[in-house]
Amino acid sequence: MTFSVNVPAPLDRSTVLRLAFLAALSVLLLGALLARLWFLQVLAGDRFAELADSNRLRTVVSQAPRGHILASDGSELVVNRAALALTADRQALVDAAGAPRDEDAARTVRRLAVLLGIDETTLLRRIADVRYSPFRPVPVAVDVDPRIVLTVRQNQELFEGISAETIPVRDYPEGDLAAHLVGYLGQISRDELAEVRYADYRGGDLIGRGGLEQSYEAELRGRGGQEVFVVNRRGSVIDVQSRRDPQPGLDLVTWLDLDVQRAVEDALAEGIVASRSILRPDGRFLPSTAGSAIVMDARTGGIVAMASYPTYDPTEFVGGVSTEYWTFVNDPAQGQPLNNRPIAGQYPPGSVYKIVSGAAMLEADIVGPSTLVGCPGSYTVADVTFRNWNPANEGSMDLATALKRSCDTYFYELAYRQWQAEERAETPDEIVQRVSREFGLGEPLGIDLPGERGGVVPGREWREEFWLRYRDGYCERASRAEPGSFEEELLLDLCRFGGVWRGGDAINMSIGQGDVLTTPLQMAAAYQAVANDGVLLRPTVGRELREDDGTLVRTIEPEVVSELDLTEAELRSIQRGLERTVMEPGGTGFGAFLGFPFDEVPVAGKTGTAERKPRVPYAWFAAYAPADDPRYVVVVSVEEGGGGSQTAAPIARRILETLFDVRRADAPAFVAGPEILD
Amino acid sequence: MPSIARTARPGRLARALGVLAPLRAVDPLIVASTFALITIGMVAIYSSKLATLTAQGLPTTAFLSRQLIAGGVGLVLLVAATVFDYRRLRAFIPVGFLATLLLLVLVLTPLGTSVRGSQRWISLLGFQVQPSELMKIALLLALAMLFNETEGVPGLGRTAFAVLLAIIPLGLVFAQPDLGTSLVYLWLTGIVLLVSGVRVRYLLMLAGMGAATFVLGLRTELIRDYQVQRLTVFLGADAPDADFAGALFQTRQSMIAIGSGGTYGRGLFEGTQTALAYVPDNHTDFIFTVIGEELGFIGAASVLALFGVLIWRAVRIAAQAVDRDAMIIAAGVAGILLMQVFVNVGMTLGIMPVTGLPLPFLSYGGTSLLSWMAMMGLLLNVNLRRR
Repeated sequence: MTFSVNVPAPLDRSTVLRLAFLAALSVLLLGALLARLWFLQVLAGDRFAELADSNRLRTVVSQAPRGHILASDGSELVVNRAALALTADRQALVDAAGAPRDEDAARTVRRLAVLLGIDETTLLRRIADVRYSPFRPVPVAVDVDPRIVLTVRQNQELFEGISAETIPVRDYPEGDLAAHLVGYLGQISRDELAEVRYADYRGGDLIGRGGLEQSYEAELRGRGGQEVFVVNRRGSVIDVQSRRDPQPGLDLVTWLDLDVQRAVEDALAEGIVASRSILRPDGRFLPSTAGSAIVMDARTGGIVAMASYPTYDPTEFVGGVSTEYWTFVNDPAQGQPLNNRPIAGQYPPGSVYKIVSGAAMLEADIVGPSTLVGCPGSYTVADVTFRNWNPANEGSMDLATALKRSCDTYFYELAYRQWQAEERAETPDEIVQRVSREFGLGEPLGIDLPGERGGVVPGREWREEFWLRYRDGYCERASRAEPGSFEEELLLDLCRFGGVWRGGDAINMSIGQGDVLTTPLQMAAAYQAVANDGVLLRPTVGRELREDDGTLVRTIEPEVVSELDLTEAELRSIQRGLERTVMEPGGTGFGAFLGFPFDEVPVAGKTGTAERKPRVPYAWFAAYAPADDPRYVVVVSVEEGGGGSQTAAPIARRILETLFDVRRADAPAFVAGPEILD
Repeated sequence: MPSIARTARPGRLARALGVLAPLRAVDPLIVASTFALITIGMVAIYSSKLATLTAQGLPTTAFLSRQLIAGGVGLVLLVAATVFDYRRLRAFIPVGFLATLLLLVLVLTPLGTSVRGSQRWISLLGFQVQPSELMKIALLLALAMLFNETEGVPGLGRTAFAVLLAIIPLGLVFAQPDLGTSLVYLWLTGIVLLVSGVRVRYLLMLAGMGAATFVLGLRTELIRDYQVQRLTVFLGADAPDADFAGALFQTRQSMIAIGSGGTYGRGLFEGTQTALAYVPDNHTDFIFTVIGEELGFIGAASVLALFGVLIWRAVRIAAQAVDRDAMIIAAGVAGILLMQVFVNVGMTLGIMPVTGLPLPFLSYGGTSLLSWMAMMGLLLNVNLRRR
């Protein structure tokens, strides 16, 4: 059997052409497939690989329990508790515009609104709240009446998309105690979510706002757990790819003593309210609008108690603050309760500042501890008369006595001499300003609380900058003022020479007036330095960080901010002055401390009455005790509270009595001191 | 060819084998490519169902074994289609065509089996058979016979008859409904008319009539909206706002599967899109996604190359054919293969609409595998008998 191979096909030219066409078509179509395949797999392969991963992997995040905030002795200030909450599935209930998705959803929302006793628009706004992730259930009501939860659970078909669950919320066993120190939690904002430092936060996460909750956010928060599931097309879980357990936040142990804190808050509030019934010489009652009180550990800078009046209730912020309450805590007519005055209130310090100016004069060697300087009723320089609070001439005195009597003219004389010396120098060494900074004034001390302000230490440079900024305004107003009037004269002077640091400025500053501003905390730190042998420590609220089982993680060590450049004798003279102020008859603080057991607890302190015309003076009292071995520094300031000895000293006295447990059981809440407008 | 020298060698064994001697001239490239494709298909089918079957606690070879049985039957059919001289086959073609037509009619009766709203299967001797697959061969042979009997350029009458032959099964398949397969018949007929030498103007005329029919079909809603939508929706697969949950889901997931394979693939049995069943029908129409994901560009391009080899050999056989019907059969096989590969693979790559055509040799489905193996047998058959 034979057969041939490759016999030429008896095909006509046309057929060959047509087959060639088929071959060409094959090359074209297969080529197209190959090109597309190259694009999908080789060029875009990485992108598709990512898509395949996002297809199959679902990440479920669980929140870590937030760390507690504890008092120094371990008692609980802020903890967590489980709250009954109703949550809404946003995807099921509302559309992108925040309107009910359909008729059923609208009915569900209406029913729930009636049940919760809120109106429908409010409820819809909560459900559509953009701060929450659309993929997480949105809490619409926290701390719901269990009967309401029961109703929802029993009639689930009427409440499609609404579920009841328990969520961890902040709990305040002590109520509004130390509210300003604690702060509160709020939802992270959209803008914050865009920031790098909040990279591991998600929409709907809570974040510390104000107080320790904010400054220790990183430590308190812990790290959320994360589980990555492998899911199939229908979304059912096939496997667990990775799992990270939530890491609870660290507990913050503070320097706070809750009993003292409570006593300080009560003493401040009751003192302020009581002082409002003191009649002033002009026939009006003292306004005493607001105030601060600080108790600081003299050897560590730890904040034992800190109160701001008026205060607010942090529980109002649990589960989201209402608009009404938010308006209330920020209302100036209500004294802006959210404002944390001890660290954010900036006031002229008045006479409590005299330890700073006194120290400056000692450092400048213009005066020694025992140098005698006159204390006349007034001091006149270049036709301007500066008056002492006491119009009588008190004769010559040393620094300690000047502090005890809070003699203004003593400081005027020294300040003016120092100013003259500085004016003569080519580059003046501004000693008062420099020592002010040594005492921690002029910039924030760096306490571990948000919102601390730095106050103002005025001086030549500051004056010039200030003037350059406002000069045009002065000049314009001068040109519009009535010709020949006092106003025109003053404005013209400011317009032309406002940038000059004059003798009068130095004189005013020496008694804590003029442009100098400090926070109550800065004053507490200044007195702490005097009490602590000249070493100024950074004030801190936090003391230790511990794990939830109590293991110590980190101790927040006391930090030296500055050391006063004074000899022992110089420092001692200041301390003597403060002791005599309170414990010696004739001292400006003596009257407020009548009957205080100084033999048990010697007290050193200073009154202050800061003018801020046209307002009623700001009352100050700064103290430390025991004077011979200081443990606590106490500072009280009351806005428009009149004389320091009148309003602030009695409050401080009551705090000291509680601190050293020497308070008589029948002692009244507040006894106004003598009105001395030092 | 070396076989010539060897057949001339004397000896009893050689003489005994003389009957089978022509088989030695079997095109090895066709055989090798065919078996390579079938093997890859078997592995891909196994992979596509591995995770799902394991999860359900079923034997992992459930699908594979049924495809292997079909492959075994297909092998018999392939050998038969190779050995049985195609010139003697001519006599059976009208009967075969009518019998297949009868099956297509029976599919539409209650005897047929319906899956997902499409009635395509019929039970035959205990097996589920898809007659529309068999009809590809029957129609090809019938058309080949029709044009074999003409000398010179086919006239209008014969062309019209050919169209008539095609329209009957096309209508029956379209009624199942199976748009994809009816388009295959249309394409096949077009290829046959082209290579048979029908005048180009007739071809253009028919194309025009086809287009008119399509428009008419749209107007009268004979072609349903969803069918049109399925034909056009894939064009939006790259649009960012595409509705991936709906019509585009399958295309999208298919592209992700293939794309994520990259150059070298994720490794056999390692594809996540495959294992987690993200691509629906990935053992049948979307089998190419398994290859793309697990074997990458290297694997997927190799499969395309194997198809390319088959098409090239088929066109070559057509060009060397001595009979007109042999030429038509070979060209027809090349044409259908080209179309099905392009439509199916194009669909998985997002450049063709989702029409529900299986990938030859690879897709799970017994009848499809059988008929493709039979067609390869026919190719070898006409290649052997070029005298």
